[in-house]
Amino acid sequence: MRMRNDWNRREFLKTASAATLGALVAPYSKALAATKESVPKATADTLIVLWMGGGMAHTETFDPKRYTPYEKGLDPNRVLSTFPAIDTAVDNIKFSQGLEKLAAVMDRGALIRSYTAGDLGFILHSRHQYQWHTGYAPPQTVAAPHIGAMLSRTLGPLNPAVPAFIDVGQRFDVGEGEELKAFHSAGFYGSEYGPFVISNPEQAVESVRPPAGMSPGRFENRDKFYRKLLAESPIGEFGGDYQKESLVRAMDKAHLLLSSPASKAFDLSLEPKESYAKYNTGRFGLGCLLARRLTEAGARFIEVTTEYIPFFNWDTHENGHTRMVDMKKSVDGPIAQLVLDLEARGLLDRTLIVLASEFSRDMMMEGKPGKTVKDQVTVPNVIEDLKYYGMHRHFTDAGSVLMFGGGVKKGYLHGQTAEERPCKTIADRVVIEDLHATLFRAMGISPKHAYEIEKRPFYVTKDGLGKPIDALFA
Amino acid sequence: MIKHLLALILAGIPMAWAKLTPEQIKSLPAPASEPAVFSRDIKPIFEASCIKCHGKGKNKGGFALDTKETFLKGGDSGPAVIVGNSAESYLVELVSGIDPDNTMPQKGSKLTARQVSLVRAWIDQGLSWDANINFAKAPPVNLVPRNPEIPPAPAKAHLENPVDHFVFAYFTTNHITPKPLVSDAVFARRAFLDIIGLLPEPKELEAFSHSRSKEKRAELVTELLGRKRAYAEHWLTFWNDALRNDYKGTGYIDGGRRQITDWLYSALATNLPYDRFVAQLINPTPESDGFSKGIVWRGVVNASQTPEMQAAQNISQVFMGVNLKCASCHDSFINDWALSDAYGLASVYSDGPLEMYRCDKPTGKKALVKFLYPELGEIKADAPKAQRLERLAQVVTDPKDGRLTRTIVNRVWAKLMGRGLIEPVDEMDNPAWSQDLLDWLASDLVEHHYDLKRTIGLIVKSDAYQLPAVPGTDQSSASFVFQGPTTKRLTAEQFSDALAAVTGVWPETPAASIHYVATTESKSKAALTQTEGPFAPGVAPRWIWNQMLADKRAAAETLYFRKTIILSHAPEQARAIVACDNSFKLYVNGTEVGSGNDFSKPKSINLTPHLKKGMNVIAIAATNDKGKPNDPKADQSNPAGLIGYFYLRASENVQKQKQDVIMDFTTDSSWLWSAANPENWNKLQVTNLTGWSRSTVLGKPDMAPWNSGKALVAAVSRAPQFERVRASLLAADPLMTALGRPNREQVITTRASAATTLQALELTNGSTLSHLLERGAEKLIQDLPSAPAQFTTAVYKRALGRVPTKRELNSSMELIGSPVQRQGVEDLLWAMAMLPEFQVIN
Repeated sequence: MRMRNDWNRREFLKTASAATLGALVAPYSKALAATKESVPKATADTLIVLWMGGGMAHTETFDPKRYTPYEKGLDPNRVLSTFPAIDTAVDNIKFSQGLEKLAAVMDRGALIRSYTAGDLGFILHSRHQYQWHTGYAPPQTVAAPHIGAMLSRTLGPLNPAVPAFIDVGQRFDVGEGEELKAFHSAGFYGSEYGPFVISNPEQAVESVRPPAGMSPGRFENRDKFYRKLLAESPIGEFGGDYQKESLVRAMDKAHLLLSSPASKAFDLSLEPKESYAKYNTGRFGLGCLLARRLTEAGARFIEVTTEYIPFFNWDTHENGHTRMVDMKKSVDGPIAQLVLDLEARGLLDRTLIVLASEFSRDMMMEGKPGKTVKDQVTVPNVIEDLKYYGMHRHFTDAGSVLMFGGGVKKGYLHGQTAEERPCKTIADRVVIEDLHATLFRAMGISPKHAYEIEKRPFYVTKDGLGKPIDALFA
Repeated sequence: MIKHLLALILAGIPMAWAKLTPEQIKSLPAPASEPAVFSRDIKPIFEASCIKCHGKGKNKGGFALDTKETFLKGGDSGPAVIVGNSAESYLVELVSGIDPDNTMPQKGSKLTARQVSLVRAWIDQGLSWDANINFAKAPPVNLVPRNPEIPPAPAKAHLENPVDHFVFAYFTTNHITPKPLVSDAVFARRAFLDIIGLLPEPKELEAFSHSRSKEKRAELVTELLGRKRAYAEHWLTFWNDALRNDYKGTGYIDGGRRQITDWLYSALATNLPYDRFVAQLINPTPESDGFSKGIVWRGVVNASQTPEMQAAQNISQVFMGVNLKCASCHDSFINDWALSDAYGLASVYSDGPLEMYRCDKPTGKKALVKFLYPELGEIKADAPKAQRLERLAQVVTDPKDGRLTRTIVNRVWAKLMGRGLIEPVDEMDNPAWSQDLLDWLASDLVEHHYDLKRTIGLIVKSDAYQLPAVPGTDQSSASFVFQGPTTKRLTAEQFSDALAAVTGVWPETPAASIHYVATTESKSKAALTQTEGPFAPGVAPRWIWNQMLADKRAAAETLYFRKTIILSHAPEQARAIVACDNSFKLYVNGTEVGSGNDFSKPKSINLTPHLKKGMNVIAIAATNDKGKPNDPKADQSNPAGLIGYFYLRASENVQKQKQDVIMDFTTDSSWLWSAANPENWNKLQVTNLTGWSRSTVLGKPDMAPWNSGKALVAAVSRAPQFERVRASLLAADPLMTALGRPNREQVITTRASAATTLQALELTNGSTLSHLLERGAEKLIQDLPSAPAQFTTAVYKRALGRVPTKRELNSSMELIGSPVQRQGVEDLLWAMAMLPEFQVIN
């Protein structure tokens, strides 16, 4: 009987890789035999998604157009950008004012200006976010896994003591929480590959610590007692088997996570004050700091969100210009610092950072040109109040995606949008399956990689059709 | 070439092939010289390259090679072959690839020259076709009911249960010697958890093990099946998963989804026969339509995910064990279902003819209304939708439909035994490890009026169920051999309920809104006639005030009501449901316990902590507001009334006499009132005994102007659900999610049972569990004997159904300290809950 007192956690850890644990989870979801498709050589070990939840306007951030300052009596049709453009470290790339720190590190990254969100009829944040994160438009006949779960299942953790899929910053008790839960999940893969959720980065350490109020000594003591009971348990009719073993193994792994030195990475209070201050623009900034610390500790996939809350953050339905100033402030410094810190630690080359949003915004256009979509805000014919000055409508025909490290070209610009309204994609359109295929290429996964569910293949990119944007790679 | 062909077809000339030029004929691979053997040479070519479109029920271009006859008949463009003349056979022209624009197969790799040679040889040599080979759609599997004879029991065995006759015959065939049956304790734990989802309480376990009845296991099963409420609350989890019913989730935000909780709960509590259960889901009432309506997403969804298509997929999967998901988008590659089958069923739910979309692109073809198995009955396409639904429900639930019954008995078997007779349980085309047993159980269900409790009872009472558990390994393995039930893991809900039962700390407020009427037991026929809705026999709530006609007009003032009650026991559960025109404050023994100010929504107030054994006083300050507050000179009188129902139940442990368990009372003329706000009016010892009068009964709950009958019934119905709320009635919390409670956006019929790291993390440091343990430890210290040894023993009995061993006792006592420390108890509870012995059903 393996569960007796000679049970040895070290032994288990030597033998039980994430893969063998995974095999116990979902009996009917199998990895399909490797396709003939050649598996790309990985250029990154870690993927960080910086999520601008709520719809980040491209013309106000990474794709500035003609600037029209605010004045009373303004004709909204004239307004393409409400900020002037600024130079970046790369000659042919301009940013919108307020992103100076990111502008200074643009020579380390690549910018896609031609991301085009799915055409889902109604423009809805949660549906588009679902599509961005799973590659599939909801609803699906099986629960689609999040891209973090795809990496978790396919690659496993980088450091066994750090969960493979970490999600930072989103709470689920805010508006549309149920809709958000629907894709913050491993779907049919089973919960082994699901997100390790850290809603508040400042409290991240609590998720890897003994329960609140429990001293480390008591925690160890409790564990020892559990093992004693386990060993002393009169087996009798309770023969050993797979469910029990998987249970004991899982408990062991959890204990390892909670007592490993890697758990220190979760503790932001251990960060030097000066460095902490550089990131501290609020929860998102601290999320970036946490992402850096977790990358150092060996995380596989981390998503940090500005948090999607209807009508908050990037979801500007009014006061767009004013709120944009604050949003830029909250993301500019921390992201630039994350790039610089990873670079200084020699980690940027093997860490791919991707900044993205579910769609863009425009002052006049709802949806995409030529489509009639229910309008969700009122824009007066003449702007008499600053609160109407901003990008308040949802726009899907263009969007910016910023990437750093992980093998992508430096100082590279991909795609182009029109200079006049509608400021839509006019060259090198990128859709979600191709963007995902690109991320998978960097991580060394074929876009046709698939898992079987209900006897059919479920691919990591929609129907296996994603094509990586090879031009982005160095 | 194509133009040439088209012209001929358009001209109406039946033209099978266009003659190839002699040069073209010369360029064809020559016919193979050796004899072509159909089964060896031709069949593999057909299977690899042709039948995807021209076999298994599909006939693109009107051409099917199901049999030699259909093959010879040819397709829309005429005969496919001229026997004996391959050079001029249209088929050879197509497969040779001579016209690049018109080559078969259209998709996939073309035939090799060698394959074309073989086909030519086969045609030239006379088209031999073995009679036993065909490429037609296979006849439906598991559709026709079959009632096999019950095999005789093997020698020496004295088996009564038909299930065992089948299983032991199977054992004989498979050379398996069954092990001895499990002990009483193991059996009881299994039966409790499998039938009602709860751990047996120590006293229940004790009574069971002390029983001398020979039939005690069967008696226990019958008794458990009779616990309507507990049964319903357990099976609700299974059905919520299968029917995608939840209390929160996507779609509810904008009315794109509807709960069926109330209907489902009643259906389970009343053991609604399964045929009617299914019929009411397929052809729903407003209470049960959430299932077939599906989840409506805002915006544009994939054509395969319209509500009608969702209905088709879910009805097929849940009731028929048929996977239509692939066929909702295109003809399936994994089974024989075609796009037209999915759309045919979806059309039943559509208001008009549905256009079929292949891979989200319109085909221009309208679907024909039909059920998956047209042999079960026709559904008239031109009938109004209501009639189509009624007909569909009839067809699916007709006793001729053996697929419906096999699917459900297999699901029940899988739930109880840990693995189905057929696996996966949603793929009912797969072979069963005992076809006879499956068929018999299905027939038995029909014979017994679709009574699922009978099926559950049959299985749980069988010796097969009582065999020692075997390890659950690869469930889908085709080489599976049944040797006994598979060990199961507690579900998220069972785990939560088990912890609640061990600690005595239950959630107090359900997320589900359910009328409890269905499960209220009536004690006798005489009592039944006196019962109005959920009210206890003879306890009928009445509107009261201080004078007749107060329902028309009464002074604007506050009246002070009180009633003294004597309780033989402190109630285990007590709630007041009170409404007042206009507002009230409720006191128990002088303490304010609740208030309300909306007579249309009776307030439900927990009284459990406030009532004690012996004398109690319930007091209500009831205020009738001014009728015309803006006009100080006007007559301020207006209707006034007070109504209350007091739901009080003693623990069944305390009293064997059922009638004493119910201690309900209500507002009636026995309540005393005073207008004078006497000192200590709401306490037992009233200072002033004068000035109190009996109340006047105004009328029944439904009386005008309040018409509160329904609201009161609903509120009283819910009373029992408060305080000891089962996990199945709660919204998912992080703990339950980690333990595998699914997001119910998709139909889930099997939950993964193996432990995962994230789950273990949630168990080790999640706040849901640690809070529960904190409260649990406090409650246990209050409730259990304070001596550490007795304390530990009591916890062991509750959690594991046994006393601790000496070593366990010593270790545990060391942990919890003396006197017993809260933190120690928390840690003891945690460690016990993590044990496989606790989490696994053996």
